[in-house]
Amino acid sequence: MIEPIVVTGVGCVSALGLTADECWAAARDGQTGIRVTEFDTGPNGPGARSYPAGMVRGDATAALEAALGRRIGGSLDPFAIFALKAAHEALSQAGLSSQRLGDRAACVMGNGIGGLATLEKAYERLFGLKATKVHPLTIPRVMVSAPVSSVAMEFGITGPVFTTSSACASAAHAVAQGAALIAGGLADVAVVGGSEAMATPGGMRSWEGLQAMSETACRPFSKDRDGMVIGEGAAAIVLERASRAEARGARVLARYLGAGMSSDAFHWTQPTLEGPISAMRQACEAAGILEADEILISAHGTGTPLNDKNEAAAIRGLFGARAAAHPVIATKSAHGHVIGATAAVQAILTIKALEARVAPPILGYLGPDEECGGLALVVGERRPIKATSALVNAFAFGGLNCSLAFGA
Amino acid sequence: MSGRDEELIDLIAEEALIDKAKLDPSAKLEDIGLDSVDLVSVIFAIEEKYGIEIAEDAFDRSDTLGVVIGKIEALIDAKAA
Repeated sequence: MIEPIVVTGVGCVSALGLTADECWAAARDGQTGIRVTEFDTGPNGPGARSYPAGMVRGDATAALEAALGRRIGGSLDPFAIFALKAAHEALSQAGLSSQRLGDRAACVMGNGIGGLATLEKAYERLFGLKATKVHPLTIPRVMVSAPVSSVAMEFGITGPVFTTSSACASAAHAVAQGAALIAGGLADVAVVGGSEAMATPGGMRSWEGLQAMSETACRPFSKDRDGMVIGEGAAAIVLERASRAEARGARVLARYLGAGMSSDAFHWTQPTLEGPISAMRQACEAAGILEADEILISAHGTGTPLNDKNEAAAIRGLFGARAAAHPVIATKSAHGHVIGATAAVQAILTIKALEARVAPPILGYLGPDEECGGLALVVGERRPIKATSALVNAFAFGGLNCSLAFGA
Repeated sequence: MSGRDEELIDLIAEEALIDKAKLDPSAKLEDIGLDSVDLVSVIFAIEEKYGIEIAEDAFDRSDTLGVVIGKIEALIDAKAA
């Protein structure tokens, strides 16, 4: 039997706040972090354009500098700053932030695209300003592994450290990989999660080109939903071998119960039914919760017409007539789609929901859509739940699926 | 120190995230905690601010801060001349 793994710390930076508690309180109370935001390409591009976006609320750099007690300035891209801030919070809660964690500690975080703001600045210099040089630290600031390297250096993590990248499922794969490192004996504690900061002028234009973005709001599973809203941020979770957590008297916030992974091997943007069902089924079987009376399901719930219709069908397909027993939440409606960090942000809100026995509401809901029927959608306002276990879904473009299971 | 010396010290402190109080002109770069990565960032920032080109081997970490500032001043003056 695999030794149990527990969660002993969480940290989150998102449009809902600069700490996990702030993010949870806002999600629980039905507050949105999404605002219409202007993105300006500058004089060498087409100019400014506004989109609804879930930009990090507050000054994450200042919060990080206060936490670490030293200057960070512009030495890191925002996606690494968010990751460091979230990791510091999670490790502080776990009581592990003031020590070098050593070679029995791991760090695995997801990221979709790297330090886009830094890359855009470099390209603006080359292609716009015709400068001959870019900042000499452009590469280490842009690389997708910058967040985990930053976390490892800050906290002395000398065991396995790497980034997972699977678009919108990156952080889910990271959580599962961190747990696998513990289960496989390569680490006793792992900082897992994800970070993303691709809400940049070029990033937003790119999403617009894909015609996947809403012009108004993210409305998961709602009639008349018209797309996703991009967010930014990071979330970090401390996973720990249960025996180690117990031995040092750490407070257990939740239990990690397992994961399921699959690939559609089908299409860039169109999901299959089988892939998501397989990922959810594996996670439920690993956790032993397939027949549970009530499971809290944190849906991928992007608000795109196709994803939500398919995810609803997948939930019905897996649970059959019992699908309606499981409350479904979709917190992207509050923090936006945080791409490579999104599953970790959702996992933390899910852990908080299990702890509080309260499901946060889906925002922006305009009414039922027949194609998303048969689900116990939590809309309107927060709802008490009985669930003691939960699923967190991440179904990425390119057909990469990962579901995580947690227990109270 | 001249006003421009002060300006350069401020810029080095900002780019290398080093406490300004540690930036004694008689100290060697390596002794004030300025590593090779900090150095390339500092050179880039100075080139940007003053519109000058600094050769890759213009100075190294065993130079004192005073020597480095003197060389930069000379480059800025040469450009202005």
